[in-house]
Amino acid sequence: MPERAEIEALVIESVQLLAEDFEIKAFDKLDASTCLYGADAPLDSMALVNLIADIEDAVSEKFDASIALADEKAMSAKNSPFRNIGSLVEAVAERIEA
Amino acid sequence: MNTIVITGTRKGIGKALAEYYLNAGWQVVGCSRGEGSITHTRYLHFALDVSDEDAVVAMARFIKKQFGGVDALLNNAGIASMNHALLTPASTVNRILQTNVVGTFLFCREMAKLMRKSDCARIVNFTTVAHPLNLEGEAIYAASKAAVESLTRILARELGELNITVNAVGPTPIETDLIRGVPKEKMDALLARQAIRRMGEVRDVINAVDFYLRPESDFITGQVLYLGGVT
Repeated sequence: MPERAEIEALVIESVQLLAEDFEIKAFDKLDASTCLYGADAPLDSMALVNLIADIEDAVSEKFDASIALADEKAMSAKNSPFRNIGSLVEAVAERIEA
Repeated sequence: MNTIVITGTRKGIGKALAEYYLNAGWQVVGCSRGEGSITHTRYLHFALDVSDEDAVVAMARFIKKQFGGVDALLNNAGIASMNHALLTPASTVNRILQTNVVGTFLFCREMAKLMRKSDCARIVNFTTVAHPLNLEGEAIYAASKAAVESLTRILARELGELNITVNAVGPTPIETDLIRGVPKEKMDALLARQAIRRMGEVRDVINAVDFYLRPESDFITGQVLYLGGVT
């Protein structure tokens, strides 16, 4: 089981690469509190789909774990796990552990 | 080198498609429920059930590691059961929907993730003339392919932003295991409803698939092409 800091580094790196690919300039800083998706957040739905696929891929490569972030739990959660980097890190950790 | 994933490559149309793209110089990744029947340096086989989510995800992960991505997907794997609706058990209905609908969906989902870096990404799904012809005795098979057509049209829109085209080809009956056991009178009556009244051949399917895969076809998506002049 990777450390939380390792997962956070992986998520931040994925967001950085996505921001370069999609030319998203709205991120001043990238840490646990950085908003990703929702009202007035920088990612549109297509960027989010790409980010989820990128993170699933990176988790498989770096931690040798096969996870699905967009599962029924994520879809039915009261607070979307994709709203900010912290919640996304939490979602990745939960699924690696499961 | 371009990489193509083809489901259902052990026999029939899937095997012919795999051999065709191997000859054309592609890296071919195939699958079937059992062991493969193709031996080639550029052919890799997975023995899996296309509706097994974990197995499809594992296959996609392996392809990513091995080849970096995927350029084309042919969702050829499919099963049929010809029977009157009143004599069709629910287990048969579930089996057909699992392979034809769930399997097609899972491969679209997982391979589309691997196509994001391709500059010529193509998905071709397989439907049938049994759907537009409303063939008696094929209610569940035709219904499953109606679902595949709907999936094709909607995925074309959802994946359009990723520059992935999604189309479908609908063959007429071809001499394969799928139609083994259909009586001759039934087959003749079916051919009579086609504009061009002959049995389909594998080359007809390859021609349609090849058209969708051409780089010049990047403005063609969400389409269903029936063979034999069926509309």
